[in-house]
Amino acid sequence: MAAEKLYDLWATRNPQWEKRYEDSIVKNFCDYGRGATSMREDRGKVFGGGYEIFIVAFFIGLYFKQKRPLIDDTQKRKTFGQPIQYWGNLDSVKGRKAYPKLREYIFTALIARTDIDFIALEKGEITARKAVDMLMQTMEEYANWGFHFMEDKLTDDPNYFYRETAFLEVFLTFDASVSDDSDDDEPEPLD
Amino acid sequence: MIIKEIKIKNFRSYYGSNRLSLSKGLTLVIGDNGDGKTTLFEALEWLFDTTGEDRKESHISEKRKAEMEIGECDVVSVNITFEHDGEKEIEKSFIFEKVSETNFRTKDYKFVGFFIDGPERQSITGDRLLNMCFEPVIRKYCLFKGESKLDVFQDDDTALKTLVDTFSGIRQYDKLVELTEVFEQKSANAANRELQNDKKVSKQAKELNAELNDVLNDIQNIKKELDQKKISISEFTSKLELLEKNQETSERYKDFKERIKGLKDKRAKLAGLAMCEYSTNLLDEYWILRSFPSIIKEYSAKVSALSKEKRRLDIQETERRAKEAGEREAISKIQKLANDFVPLPWNLPDKETMQEMIDEEVCKVCGRPAPKGSDAYKYMCDKLNDYLAHITAEANKKSLVKEEEAPLFPNSFINELHARQIKLSGETEQEISQITYVISDRLEFVSKRKAELAAVDKQLKDLENELNDLLVQSGLSPDFLDKSISDWTGFFEAKSRAVSRVSELETTLKFKENSRDEIREKLSKLEPTSSMTQVYQRVHTAFERITKAFANAKEQNINNFLQLLENESNKYLQKLNKNDFYGIIRIRKTINNSARIELYSENGTRIENPNGALKTTMYMSVLFAISQITTLKREQDYPLIFDAPTSSFGGFKEDTFYNVIDTIDKQCVIATKDLLVVDKATGKKVLDYDTINKLSCSVYRIERVEPFKEKDLSTIQTVINQIR
Repeated sequence: MAAEKLYDLWATRNPQWEKRYEDSIVKNFCDYGRGATSMREDRGKVFGGGYEIFIVAFFIGLYFKQKRPLIDDTQKRKTFGQPIQYWGNLDSVKGRKAYPKLREYIFTALIARTDIDFIALEKGEITARKAVDMLMQTMEEYANWGFHFMEDKLTDDPNYFYRETAFLEVFLTFDASVSDDSDDDEPEPLD
Repeated sequence: MIIKEIKIKNFRSYYGSNRLSLSKGLTLVIGDNGDGKTTLFEALEWLFDTTGEDRKESHISEKRKAEMEIGECDVVSVNITFEHDGEKEIEKSFIFEKVSETNFRTKDYKFVGFFIDGPERQSITGDRLLNMCFEPVIRKYCLFKGESKLDVFQDDDTALKTLVDTFSGIRQYDKLVELTEVFEQKSANAANRELQNDKKVSKQAKELNAELNDVLNDIQNIKKELDQKKISISEFTSKLELLEKNQETSERYKDFKERIKGLKDKRAKLAGLAMCEYSTNLLDEYWILRSFPSIIKEYSAKVSALSKEKRRLDIQETERRAKEAGEREAISKIQKLANDFVPLPWNLPDKETMQEMIDEEVCKVCGRPAPKGSDAYKYMCDKLNDYLAHITAEANKKSLVKEEEAPLFPNSFINELHARQIKLSGETEQEISQITYVISDRLEFVSKRKAELAAVDKQLKDLENELNDLLVQSGLSPDFLDKSISDWTGFFEAKSRAVSRVSELETTLKFKENSRDEIREKLSKLEPTSSMTQVYQRVHTAFERITKAFANAKEQNINNFLQLLENESNKYLQKLNKNDFYGIIRIRKTINNSARIELYSENGTRIENPNGALKTTMYMSVLFAISQITTLKREQDYPLIFDAPTSSFGGFKEDTFYNVIDTIDKQCVIATKDLLVVDKATGKKVLDYDTINKLSCSVYRIERVEPFKEKDLSTIQTVINQIR
């Protein structure tokens, strides 16, 4: 147990998502469930692997600060083929660039936004597994809200996300500046 | 024939019954593209076609077809009422019946003419009446579709002959020429026969005749070759003229092609630059992190607080432990103070010394004996036990202390998070905060390239349109223009060779003709003994002269006709180009007995490539002249019907043209989209009343009935409105 890292534990996981988004969103925008070797362009899909739309959904929930609990019935949930640690390793996909660092940013966001008693964790009063469970829950709930958001847009206009700038435009609506509301601006003691 | 009225029923876009009255002079039919001008023209073409029964389903109005019930019948008809030795009428029609949702049957084709005979109206077959009143040969000069078909001599080598035959009465000459040639030949043969039989001159005559035959053969062969060469020269000349005439076009074409190629290359580059994978860049280029700086900030704040808290707890614990140790020390100090004396520390004297003193029953600290059973002896035993207990207690205490010193925080996850915080700060945070600018720069770049791309597309479209216009106006194909430059040298050399051969042949021909004349002279000077032979000789000489006279007359006749046509054409050309340069029309006979219409300047320079409007008026003038000659020679009139003859005219030229043609003394129908202007308020094309009001002719506006569906032919209907 000595040098076990939370990140490594988390990266071996595989988030769950609600099956009901499989046809309307995941298969619509990704090459999900059709084998990994064919190229996105061949099929006219916006994204490649299914997890890519999950990442997009996650960030939408994250920036909107909106979570949505997953359906209780675990039969109605799914996971992707690859655990988080392989997400973004796209070196073999034509016309794409790998983005392995994005995993770390997702982790960073989860730490920031998950209410874990880290002191208790540090003391060993709660297990690392439990903490990682909580991180996964945050991740899944943000993404679930993101999927819900997309579904909402698609209900109004089924072609909404087929404009080439549609996804980008969603992210351009978020504030890119650093909020000034923090009162922890005092510098850390150097000891 | 002067057309008084045209009636069209269910012919293509002319749904239902439509009527158009024509004036004796100009009638203008104004309509925009697709309004039905060409259909009107084609309706007349259909009516004037006498080649057979044509009841194609494509002639039927789609609108009429669409509204019919199965089993229902209606009629397609085109009818003209005209004046030609009294009022007459011709109608072509057929019945169509809807047999199923998609199928129609056409039947009962009729082509009928009507005329008034005394008090009665008589009918006759349409083609017979048409041929009587409007000869096929003249009909050729009646209907003209577009600007490029106005040159009646182009692509028709028989046109001149037909015209000359029709109007110059030359056909009688043809017979006479043929006849006199036969007489001349026969009389020549008879005279020769007599000469060869004459005792006195027989030998000489035979020799001279043999010589003459050789020379005549030579002359025939030379003439044959000469004709061929002249035709070749004429062909090469016209090809070279075409090339020369189109040199400017060819250069402009080349220039257009190069500019289009340049723009297409530029377009391809711009299209590459304007490409942006907006969605996948969210991931691949980390654009999704555009709003992430605030999350980093949240993370840092949280981790800093955790680190701080952890350290605080750590310090607190250390302090607590230090305090506990301090307390134990103090207790022992208090215990010491509770006794009257200060005892030796528990470890003095040590275990070995104590054991030695007990064994020897003496207190070596005070030097007094301590026998067994005494208080002193007991004290020493207690002290040793105390010592041993103390050691044990110390040992126990040590192990106890060890247990209590287990770390407060056995895990170091907060350190992991802290290490990540350090990794995120500095350059990484800087990079992420730049993403927003990277995106906006990229979007701006792409949008600029897209704007450039749109501009290039527009330029390309304009250029392609211009190129298209150039091709339409010049009537040349891209293939011709692509290879015309390389053909130039070949044609030029071939023509030069033919020209020098012609000059050789002409010299030889002259020489041979001289020989022939000399031999004939010698033959005629032979003095035969028989007076009969002399008579034959004289008869032949007479026929020779008559034949020459008829041949000359024939030639003269053609030249006179061309001169007449030229003169009449120039009168119209002058009228049609009022206040503008117009030149002089010359109609030149070509080697193959066709004709060519050419324009010359007064000083004799040929105007190789007159502008579109001048060329059009030139050809129209010839058409008017032919019509004029018809009136003169046949005392007949016929209408000239033009579909869009003025597409190469500019606005100013249009005005002048219509002003002049307005007063023309011919029945003339012009279907055109000129004289329409865009109404600024509605954006729709409306009649240019400023120009129309200056004209005195009849004016019709034909228009598509709105609304119509762009892709549904059955919603298209043309209506005719008389404006004046």
